[in-house]
Amino acid sequence: MRSPAAISAGALAAVLLAPLTGPATAEPFQLDGDPAPAFVIFSQVNDGGWSQALDEARQRVEDHFGLRIPYVENVPESASAIRPAVELLIDRGANIIVGSAFGYSDTFLELAEEYPNVAFMNPAGTTNAANLQSIYGRTYQSQYLCGMAAAAVSETGRLGFVGANPFGLVNWTINAYLLGARQINPDATVTAVFTGAWNDPVREREAVIALAEQGIDVIGQHVDTPTPPIVAGELGIYATGHHRDLSEFSDATQCSSVWVWDRYLIPEIESIVAGTWEPSPWGAFASIAEGGTDIVCCGDAVPEEAVARIMEERQALLDGKQIYAGPLVDRDGVERVAAGEVIGDGDLWGMDWFLPGVIAQ
Amino acid sequence: MTEAQDLPGRAAAAPATGRRRGRWPHLALEVRQHMPGPQQALMLGASLVAGIAISTLVLVAAGVPAGNLLDEFVISIFTRPRNLANVLVYTAPLVIVGLAAAVAFRARFWNIGIEGQMIFGAIGATLIANHDIGPEGARLYLMAATAAFAGMVWMLVPALLKLRLEVNEIISTLLLNYVAFNFLLFLLYGPWKDPQSAFPHSKMYDAAERLTRIGFFNVDTSIYLAFALAVGCFLLLVVSRFGFLLNFVHANPKMARAMGVRVAVLVLSAALVSAALAGVAGFVISAGIDNRMTQSFFVGYGFSGILIGFLARNNPVLVVFFAALIAVLMVAGQGLQVFYQIPSSMVLLIQAIIVICAAASEFLIRYRLRLVR
Repeated sequence: MRSPAAISAGALAAVLLAPLTGPATAEPFQLDGDPAPAFVIFSQVNDGGWSQALDEARQRVEDHFGLRIPYVENVPESASAIRPAVELLIDRGANIIVGSAFGYSDTFLELAEEYPNVAFMNPAGTTNAANLQSIYGRTYQSQYLCGMAAAAVSETGRLGFVGANPFGLVNWTINAYLLGARQINPDATVTAVFTGAWNDPVREREAVIALAEQGIDVIGQHVDTPTPPIVAGELGIYATGHHRDLSEFSDATQCSSVWVWDRYLIPEIESIVAGTWEPSPWGAFASIAEGGTDIVCCGDAVPEEAVARIMEERQALLDGKQIYAGPLVDRDGVERVAAGEVIGDGDLWGMDWFLPGVIAQ
Repeated sequence: MTEAQDLPGRAAAAPATGRRRGRWPHLALEVRQHMPGPQQALMLGASLVAGIAISTLVLVAAGVPAGNLLDEFVISIFTRPRNLANVLVYTAPLVIVGLAAAVAFRARFWNIGIEGQMIFGAIGATLIANHDIGPEGARLYLMAATAAFAGMVWMLVPALLKLRLEVNEIISTLLLNYVAFNFLLFLLYGPWKDPQSAFPHSKMYDAAERLTRIGFFNVDTSIYLAFALAVGCFLLLVVSRFGFLLNFVHANPKMARAMGVRVAVLVLSAALVSAALAGVAGFVISAGIDNRMTQSFFVGYGFSGILIGFLARNNPVLVVFFAALIAVLMVAGQGLQVFYQIPSSMVLLIQAIIVICAAASEFLIRYRLRLVR
């Protein structure tokens, strides 16, 4: 993916202060005319990951509504490129604009103010308004399930993880990967390496090789390319994927944490059409049940019994099970979630700690 | 190969019939003495038209309706003021990075580190903004000056390495880009992350730290700054004594040194001016377009700047023209995607065709193709 989304400490403060400043009495957004969605996509639509997942959702939304949905691809995270693309689409009649990047957040907010009759949705965005909804998925749920699959195929119990940058939404997938793995093997560890970039196949390859040399035999990932499973396949070890089903690139893939944006976007567009769409001022944070990420599981190497347990846990998540439930103490001995409590969304976004069993700098 | 080997034999046999290959009409290249300015402009215009014609053929072959291209695409893209505004917004930083490249290349200093200097420029500007240094009225000027200074500081390393140790600046400036980028990531994931949201970009600049809009959609004062810098560079490179000496260095550094020109000082000065311009470009994007320092504000500008400097043959006036051309190609390219849903790779192909045709005009300005009978 391209970095983060929705809830922030500032937004939380806004929520807490809301009762003092009086409840916002925003009217639901009203669309002029027939819905005409259009997508503005960060990278190429065949990038094998984040952008392609959104484009596949675009096609499913097209089929569902029987609409032709135009898109502009390769739009970098710079206002000088985002604005012309969006304005050209609006000029051509688009009235629901779907973005695809953290770096679109500020520009989308400006555009939402300038075009109050257009609905904006921005996966991985951070800004919200009466006609702008940022969305991200609770990716820790799907990564937790992939962590289970990883532990089930590991002989050493030592798992590796290739992440982009160490901040909230990457850290939560790493901790969740460990929690999932420990459902299967209570002694499992996760060694995380950060490449410093979302899209850097060269460093991802180096990271996987370095991890494998330490005796690690399954590699998880939260980067944008399918490099980790490909390299894992070359080295004869296993991997789990993110964004899309990466088994298309390598048989080493035993589980993939995949975006299912259409499951989120179709009901949203229906509510926009129905005139009942009210974006949340702190963004949408879609769970596995609400169309965030789900899993494609499992590869041939995962034993039947483990597959059954993974599917059981998936059902539990659908039924509302919390992964980050207390007591949780981080690897430095600080209590992060008290017994009987679950983590708040603000703490998820700000997660800068790792559980014991995560090995990272 | 066989034909080439045959030829001398044939030529040897040929005199009997009086038919030598050289007598057949063929094309020859001739160096032109000098083409007058207006004729050069005409040649450039003709090359662009040729590029557009080839691109049109490519588009039509890809299934875009030919009639539709003119009466719908061209009309809607080039007659809407909003599209013009978007072109101007993108043009301003492109002019400045183009100037940065032109000034350095004029001294035969191959500055591939424009992006690194942009990063340091933005870091300098953000330092002033984050700490609210100076009175609000002077804040923007202070940010711009600090950006220029920070760009120069970052350039000192490769410039001195080149002058003192003859380290190739192509390598050192390029590699320092990565160092600068990692330092940017360190700041944005560490001490300078947005204190409000903990997301990896600097905190939003205050109103006094943003370039004001000039009242034409989202165009800000950076467009004036870009034109002023272009005029300044024109005076520096074309009118001033510095520019005259730089021409000398460009033509033949050894000769210049032998004639008593202080080559090292000139090269160092040009490199520093180039880096200061790149730093200002970083400031312009952060304070004019993004209103904060992001992780990716500089991406692509380094190579766009080199391309613009090259196409403009290091001439500041032509830099403005080619920067605008690149900006038009970007907006028109997005328009092609919106109108006809062609893939972005096709747009890149068309942009490349037009840029290569523009570059080819340089060849036709220097040489003449003549039919030899």
